[in-house]
Amino acid sequence: MHRVQNNITIEDLKQGSDLLFKDIYEDNRDKFLNFAKKYNLSQEDNIDVYQDAYIIFYNNVMQGKIEEFTSSISTYLFSIGKYLIFDKMKKNNKTVNPDFDLSIVREKEELVDPELEMEQQELTTEQVLLKKYFVTLGKKCQELLTLFYYRGFTIKDIIEAGNYTSENVVKSAKSRCMKTLKERINTKE
Amino acid sequence: MENQDLLYHYFSNSLTAAQEKEFQDLLENDTEFKAQFLFEQNLKEVIKSNEIDTLKAKLQGFEKDLSATKTTRIEFFDSETSKPIKPTFNSKYFAIAASIVLLMGWFGYNSFLGTDYSNMYNENFSAYPNTVYSITRGDTENTLEREAFVAYESKDYQKTIEKLDAIPVEATKEYFNFYKAQSYLNMDDTVNAETFFTLVLQDNRSFVAESTWYLALIALKGENKAEAKKHLENLVANFDYNKEKAKVLLKELE
Repeated sequence: MHRVQNNITIEDLKQGSDLLFKDIYEDNRDKFLNFAKKYNLSQEDNIDVYQDAYIIFYNNVMQGKIEEFTSSISTYLFSIGKYLIFDKMKKNNKTVNPDFDLSIVREKEELVDPELEMEQQELTTEQVLLKKYFVTLGKKCQELLTLFYYRGFTIKDIIEAGNYTSENVVKSAKSRCMKTLKERINTKE
Repeated sequence: MENQDLLYHYFSNSLTAAQEKEFQDLLENDTEFKAQFLFEQNLKEVIKSNEIDTLKAKLQGFEKDLSATKTTRIEFFDSETSKPIKPTFNSKYFAIAASIVLLMGWFGYNSFLGTDYSNMYNENFSAYPNTVYSITRGDTENTLEREAFVAYESKDYQKTIEKLDAIPVEATKEYFNFYKAQSYLNMDDTVNAETFFTLVLQDNRSFVAESTWYLALIALKGENKAEAKKHLENLVANFDYNKEKAKVLLKELE
């Protein structure tokens, strides 16, 4: 039966199971919130930070930035979470926590893995428009483009994942999706 | 090498040194190539942002589930262990009378009528929410899967099944069987519901704990104590989902 174990591998996570995604979230949640208490942010903020930390961790796995776990998943989440808490505290310094001694907060917490991609850039106006039309594409197109640009799948990986029979089929499906996307932007712009 | 292939290798991190040079040259000198590159670069950011939205929505759903479970637990604890409110003169007698009625009821119900399976089912059954397909407002896409989950959220369970059944096998997702089972159960068709929950268990990928819980409820509804106990014990031993509720039901089944 499916249980959260300490020996979850990158490959397990990369399969994209919703159950595993939920299990890991729930398994580490209380520990993280307990740890975050000492920074005197609100419970709501702490949950927010935990979710962001989890998403950053998950994105790094899915995008191949973490190729092998060098620590336990909890360590990754705590490390990323701590970084985000410090960032939040610096930003909210005057409003959220006037009494808290920020001198104990280091300039940049050492991350468990310095290669981790931490920030999601704010979308430019052009990207916002692109996103608006991307979500109108058919599910198949969205999935194909997501596998390629987000998951970093090669065309061969995409064939192995199913639904496509040959490289040419994948390539032409991908160009059709891109063409549709461009057309939608151009006609509605 | 064609320009499109160069871009493909760039985005899959597989440019050779020679291709890298060709890539840089084109970027500097070919405006059409540069525009296409920027488009794909932007698309990559957009897809990431879209994935983040989906993940965040899922996590918020988990939080909702957790707080719902907590509320149920708190209510349970309140009735079992919290300090009683000091009764007033009238309510004191009322409380005693109520306790006697409750005790007699409990005794009678256990001794003479047996376990009230139907009540156990009704008190514990609630339809599982859609946590797999995010229906975005203003989303104009009209796929069968979207239609299925729109129907599910509107409690049109017959339509949900029809739409899910119409999706070609190659596009089938691992969670379809779980939602088909849910739909059947919501229409009181426990036979089909049981079949699909069992398939989820055999598949053993997602919604395994949830399906075990619902199989236990189906067994309760069918007054099959042994089967219900089997599923509940499995749930308590192997999963966290509805663990507390499963423990309470097991106690009631003793």
